[in-house]
Amino acid sequence: MKKLLLLVASLVLVFGLAACGGDEVDTYEIAMITDSGGIDDESFNQGTWEGIVEFAEENDLTYKYYKPLEVSDDAYLDAIELAVEGGAKVVVTPGFLFESSIYVAQTEYPDVYFILIDGEPHDAGWTTWETTDNTQPILFNEHESGFLAGYAAVMDGYRNLGFTGGMAVPAVVKFGIGYIAGAYYAAQENGYTLNFGDSTYTYFGNFDESDTNKSVAASWYELGTEIIFSAAGGAGKSVMSAASDAEAMMIGVDIDQSGQSDTVLTSALKNLGVAVQQALQGYLDGDFEGGATIRKGVENDGVSLPMDTSRFTTFTQAQYDAIYEDLVDGTVVVPVNWAELVTFLGDDASNFTEATVAPTS
Amino acid sequence: MNAILNYVKKNYIGFSVSVLLLLQVFLLPTLLGEEAAGGILFSIAAVGIGYFGYKAYLFRKQNPDFKAAESTTLVNILGSVIAILTGLLFGFVLMLIINPNQAIDGFFTILEGGFRNIESLGDMIYFSVPLILTGLSVAFAFRTGLFNIGASGQLTIGAFVAVYIGVRWGALADIHPLLHWLAAILFATIAGGLWGAIPGLLKAYRNVNEVVASIMLNYVAMYINTVLIRNFIYNPDFARALDIKPSAASPTFNLDLLFPDSSINAGIIVALIVVLILHIILNKTTFGYELKAVGLNRDAAKYAGMNAKRNIVISMIISGAVAGLAGALLFLVQGKHLTPVNTILTEGFTGIAISLLGLSSPIGVLLAGLFYGSLQQGGYFLQLYDYKPEIIDIIIAVIIYASALGLFLQKFVLKGLKASEMRAARQGPGDATGDTTEAEGSDDK
Amino acid sequence: MEYIIEMLNITKEFPGIKANDDVTLQLKKGEIHALLGENGAGKSTLMSVLFGLYQPEQGTIKVRGEEVIIANPNDANELGIGMVHQHFKLVHNFTVAENIVLGYEDTKNGFLELDAPIKKIQELSDRYKLKVDVNALISDISVGQQQRVEILKMLYRNAEILIFDEPTAVLTPQEIEELMNIMKDLVKEGKSIILITHKLNEIKQVADRCSVLRKGKYIGTVDVATTSVEKMAEMMVGREVSFVVDKEEPKIGDTVLSVRNLTVFNEHIHKNVVTDVSFDVRRGEILCIAGIEGNGQTQLVQAITGLIQPTEGQIDILGEDITHQSIRHRNLAGISHIPEDRHKHGLVLDYSLEENLVLQTYFEPRFQKNGFLQFDEVRVNANELIQNFDIRSGKGPVTMARSMSGGNQQKAIVAREISRDTDLLIAVQPTRGLDVGAIEYIHKQLILQRDAGKAVLLISLELDEVMNVSDRIIVMYEGENVGEFDPAKVTENELGLYMAGSKRRKTA
Repeated sequence: MKKLLLLVASLVLVFGLAACGGDEVDTYEIAMITDSGGIDDESFNQGTWEGIVEFAEENDLTYKYYKPLEVSDDAYLDAIELAVEGGAKVVVTPGFLFESSIYVAQTEYPDVYFILIDGEPHDAGWTTWETTDNTQPILFNEHESGFLAGYAAVMDGYRNLGFTGGMAVPAVVKFGIGYIAGAYYAAQENGYTLNFGDSTYTYFGNFDESDTNKSVAASWYELGTEIIFSAAGGAGKSVMSAASDAEAMMIGVDIDQSGQSDTVLTSALKNLGVAVQQALQGYLDGDFEGGATIRKGVENDGVSLPMDTSRFTTFTQAQYDAIYEDLVDGTVVVPVNWAELVTFLGDDASNFTEATVAPTS
Repeated sequence: MNAILNYVKKNYIGFSVSVLLLLQVFLLPTLLGEEAAGGILFSIAAVGIGYFGYKAYLFRKQNPDFKAAESTTLVNILGSVIAILTGLLFGFVLMLIINPNQAIDGFFTILEGGFRNIESLGDMIYFSVPLILTGLSVAFAFRTGLFNIGASGQLTIGAFVAVYIGVRWGALADIHPLLHWLAAILFATIAGGLWGAIPGLLKAYRNVNEVVASIMLNYVAMYINTVLIRNFIYNPDFARALDIKPSAASPTFNLDLLFPDSSINAGIIVALIVVLILHIILNKTTFGYELKAVGLNRDAAKYAGMNAKRNIVISMIISGAVAGLAGALLFLVQGKHLTPVNTILTEGFTGIAISLLGLSSPIGVLLAGLFYGSLQQGGYFLQLYDYKPEIIDIIIAVIIYASALGLFLQKFVLKGLKASEMRAARQGPGDATGDTTEAEGSDDK
Repeated sequence: MEYIIEMLNITKEFPGIKANDDVTLQLKKGEIHALLGENGAGKSTLMSVLFGLYQPEQGTIKVRGEEVIIANPNDANELGIGMVHQHFKLVHNFTVAENIVLGYEDTKNGFLELDAPIKKIQELSDRYKLKVDVNALISDISVGQQQRVEILKMLYRNAEILIFDEPTAVLTPQEIEELMNIMKDLVKEGKSIILITHKLNEIKQVADRCSVLRKGKYIGTVDVATTSVEKMAEMMVGREVSFVVDKEEPKIGDTVLSVRNLTVFNEHIHKNVVTDVSFDVRRGEILCIAGIEGNGQTQLVQAITGLIQPTEGQIDILGEDITHQSIRHRNLAGISHIPEDRHKHGLVLDYSLEENLVLQTYFEPRFQKNGFLQFDEVRVNANELIQNFDIRSGKGPVTMARSMSGGNQQKAIVAREISRDTDLLIAVQPTRGLDVGAIEYIHKQLILQRDAGKAVLLISLELDEVMNVSDRIIVMYEGENVGEFDPAKVTENELGLYMAGSKRRKTA
C-alpha cells in the first residue's frame, strides 16, 4: 500500500514538474459543436468532423470540437460561446437542432463565421427566419441520394428490398422516399417485379445500436429480404450485424460505411466533408458565402454513391453515370414528399401507405 | 430581533464570512467584471474552508477527549471525502498522462468547476436541480429500506405529464401567469408518485422485489412515453415533442438577474423546498420515524405494530413523486424537448450515485448534487484545453465507484483514526495535535 | 517478586465512559485468579489492555517485576501471555496439529515440518492431561476438545500466563467439570491463570483469589476459600443479592388472556408447531410455559402477539376477541411483549436508546403533535426510564442501541415494556445471556408487575427460573400442552421428565 502511494506520488511529481514547463493557452480557429451523439458516431458528426480535420491539416489551421452539456437551445448556445472563448473564428454545427442557437449566435458574434449543416437559422418561436452574412446554412437533397441507392440496388439484381429509418424526421423521410422512387423507377424501366412495400418499411424510433433494432432487421432477412437501406445513424450497425448473420446485404447512409462491414453494398452519401470544406475554403479565401442557404444535390456534387468502394456485381459505373446525368439534367425529377411519390410511382404506390412512409403524427 | 443580534454576536466570524460571500456573489461581478469576481470567489471559498479548519482546531483544543472514530456521521462523511479525493487524484494522473503540459491548468479548471464565474455558477445550479431531486428520490426510498432503481421511469412519466400540460394547457396562464407551470409540476409529481406506487404495491402485497419491479417499469415507462408523445404531442418535423408554451417554462423569479446569462430558474427553489420537506419528514415526524424504523429493521417495526406494508407503498409514492418532479423540471425549459427515443433517461441512475455520495441524507444529497453539477461544469470548461470532455465522465465514474466501496473506505477511515488516536494516547493525555483529517470534519458536532 | 503480572492503577477511557478507572490486578505465579464482574464492568477492557489491544491512559504494567509496554498482541505473546478466547479462533478444515503450529510453523526443505511439533504437542498433551487426537480435523471434534486445542496452542507457544475468557459459556456440564480439572493441573505445573467469568460457583470451585470490578472500578481482591458466594455477589453487584426469589402469595384476579384451542401450522416444515393449546392467564399471577427450546413456545407467543397468524383457535384479551386483529391493535388492547430475540424484534439497533424507548408509543399524544415527534418528551421519557431501570450506556439517551451491552439492551426493552403499563406482560426468555445482577433485577421486575395486578406470561428454558418465579407452570412438548403444575408441588426432576416427553398428562 505504501509503495503504491509512493509510486503515485512520484508520478505526480514528475509529471507535475513537466507540466510547469509550458503554460501557453491554446486557441482553436475552427470549432465544431457536436450534436447529440459523439464525434465517432460513424455518421453525421463524424462525416462533418473528418471534413474539418482534413481541411485544417491541409491548411495548417487549429481545430477542436466541443460537446454541449445537454440537448437544449441554451446548452448549444453556451457551447458556441465556449468555442468562441476558445478562439474559434469559424464554428461548424451539424444538424437542425442548432437552428435557433445559431440564430442568436450569428448576431451576438458578428465577427465569427457559422456553417450550419441541415438547417436554417430561426428564432425559438419559429416566427423569424434570418440568415446573416456571417452564416452559411447548407441543406442536402437526401431524396436524390436515396434515389441513387434504390436505383443501384435494383439494377444490381436485388428484388426484395427493405428500409429502416432512425426517426421520421424530414431528412430521413426524404431518404426513404427517394429510395422507393429509385427502386421502382429501375423496376418500371426494366419490367422487374419488386417485393418492397409497407411490411419492410419502418422507423426504429431511435438512432441507437441495439438488439431490438437488430431483431427487426433479422426478422426481415429471415423472411426473404435481400437488402435493407438503413438511414438510421448508429442503428445501421445493428442492421449490418443482422445482415452479416443472414449473409445478406444493406445500404449505408450519410458517409461511406463500406469499411464498417462487408455487408455494405453501397452508401447513400451526403458529401458532408466536401460541403464543409467548400464553405471553409470560402472563409479562408475571404469570400465566405453567407447570408443565404446553399442546397447540395446532384448538380453540385452534394450527394452521390461511393462507386469505388461499393460491392456491386452487375451495376456499372456507366449505368451510374447515366442515371446521375438524368437527375442533373432533369430527365428524372426525384419526388421529395408523399404526394409527389404517389404520382411518381403510379400503380406501384399501392404498395405503400402514407402512415408508414411519411408519418405525421 | 434580539435573538438575531445575539446570534450574530456569537457567530461574528461566520456571519462576516457569509456577508462577504453574499457581497461577492451579488455585487462584485457588477463592480469588477466576472473574471476577477471568479478569482475572488475562489479565494473566499478557501478562506471559508480555512475558517472551518480553524474552528475545528479550536474544537479539538477545547474537547481533547473527542474521538473522531466514535462519530459514525463523521466517519461516513470522511468516506465520501476520500471517495471524492480518490476520483480527483485519478483524474489528475490521467490528465498528466494524456497531456502533461496543461494538466495543472486543466485540473484547476475541474476543481474550479461551476465557481468559474457567475454565469457558470448559475448553470451549475440549473444542471444540479434534476440531479438533486432524483438523488433525493433514491435516498428517501433507501432510508426506508427500499432500493428505488426505477427513478428513471418515474422521471420519464413525470416529464411526459409536465410537457403534455406545458404544450396543451396554455389557457391556464390566462387565470394566473404561474398557474400553468404550477399545474405542470404538480401533475407531474402526482404521476411520478403513482408510477412509483406500482413497485411499492407489488413489494408490499405480493413480495415482489422492488429492484426487479422498478427496473422493468423503467422500460415500460420508456415505451409508454414514446407512444404517448407520438400520439398526443408529436412534432414530426423534428421527431420530438412540441415546444412547451412559454408560460409553462420554469420561471426565473429574477434569479437570472443574480446570475446573468445563466440558465438558472426556479427549479432550485423547488429543490430546496423538497430537501427541507424530506429532511423534516425523515427527522422530525412520527411518519419519518416509522419509515426509518421499517428501513432499519423490518421485524422490529412489525413487532412494534407499525404497518410495514402501508409504509412501503407510501415511501415509494413519495420517492416516485420526487422523481416525477425532477422529470418536470428537467423538461419545463424552453428550447428543450422530450424525444420519443427508446432510450432510458440516465438522470435516474445518476440519482443513485448522488444518493450514495450524499449518504442518503437530504442535505448530503443537496451538497452532492451541487458538487456533481460543479464537476460537470468543470469538465465542460476543460474543453478549453487540449482534453476530451469525456475525461470528466471518467473522474465522476471513479468517484462513484469509490463511494460504492464506501463500506470498505469506512473501515479504512476507522482504522486510520483509531491508529492515530492510539498514537496520541501513547504520547500522553490532553495532546491536541490531532491530524488534519480528524480536525476538518469535527465541525459537524 | 511474588507477582508474575501486575497491572497497577490502570485507567482506560472511551467517549463518555471510564471503562477502567484506577484498576489494579496482581497475579501470583501459580494461582488461578478470577476476574469477576457484571457485563460491562470492564473485564474485557482490562484484558484487552493486557493483551496490547488498547493503550491505557494511565497506569503501568509489570511482568515478572519489570515494567513493560505492550503495544500489540505480539508483544503480549513474547511476554508469555496467551488468551483462550470465548469464541475459538481455529481453522476448521485443518487438523489439530496444523492449527496448533499455525503461525509458528517450521519448514524442512520448503515443506511443512510436522513430526517434531507433533511430538512436542503429544508431550504437552500428556503432561497437562489435555487429551486430543492431533491428527483429527477441527470440524470433527467436540467443542470441549476444541477448547483444549486452544489451550494447547498457548502452551505450544510457551505461554506462562493463560487468560480464559468466559470459558464455560459454550460447554456442557461434563465438559465444564473436565475443564476445571485441566485448569487445576495447569497450575500444578507452574502456569498462572486469569479466569474471566461472572459465574460464582465456578470461581468457588477452582479459583484461589478473586478480583472484583464494578462499573469500571476496582472493588477489591478476596481469598476465595474464605469468602462466601453471597459476599462475592454483593461485591460484584454492589448490594446484597438474593438467590431465592422473594414473593408473596399471589392475589389472583380476573382472566386477562384467554387462549382456546390454538393451532399454528408451519408451511415450511408442513406440520403443526402448536397444536390445540388452551390456557388462561389471570391478574396477579405469573404463568410460566416451560419446555426445551423448539417445542412451539416461540410460535405460541408470536400467535398471541400477532407476529404470525394461527390456523385455528381463539385469543381473547379482557374478553375481546383479538385473533384477527393487527399487532398495533393488540398492543393497545393491553399486551406488552419482551421478545425472545432482542436484536431481531426488540430493538432497532441503529436507532438511539431514546428512540428505541418509544418504539410502540411514538404516536401517542405525549410524544406526537400534528405528526411531529416531540423530542423533548422523548428525552424526558428516556431519562426517566434510564434512571428507574438503571440502563447504562456511553452517551445516555443518544447512545446507539447497537453500541450498548447485551444486558443493558435487554434492560432497555424490559423498561419500555413495563413502562407501557399494560394488563398483560409476555416475557420470552427475558434473562437469556444476562449476569447474576441483571437476572435478579428482571425477576424482581416480573414479580413487581404481578403484585401490581398484571397478568404475566413467562416463557423460559431455565428450570431454576421456572421454579423460582412462576405461580403456575405449563409444560409444552412438541407443540402440545402436556401438563400443568403448581411449582410448590412439583420437583425439577418431575418437570424434566415432562419436558423431555417421557411423561404427559392432559389437563382439565
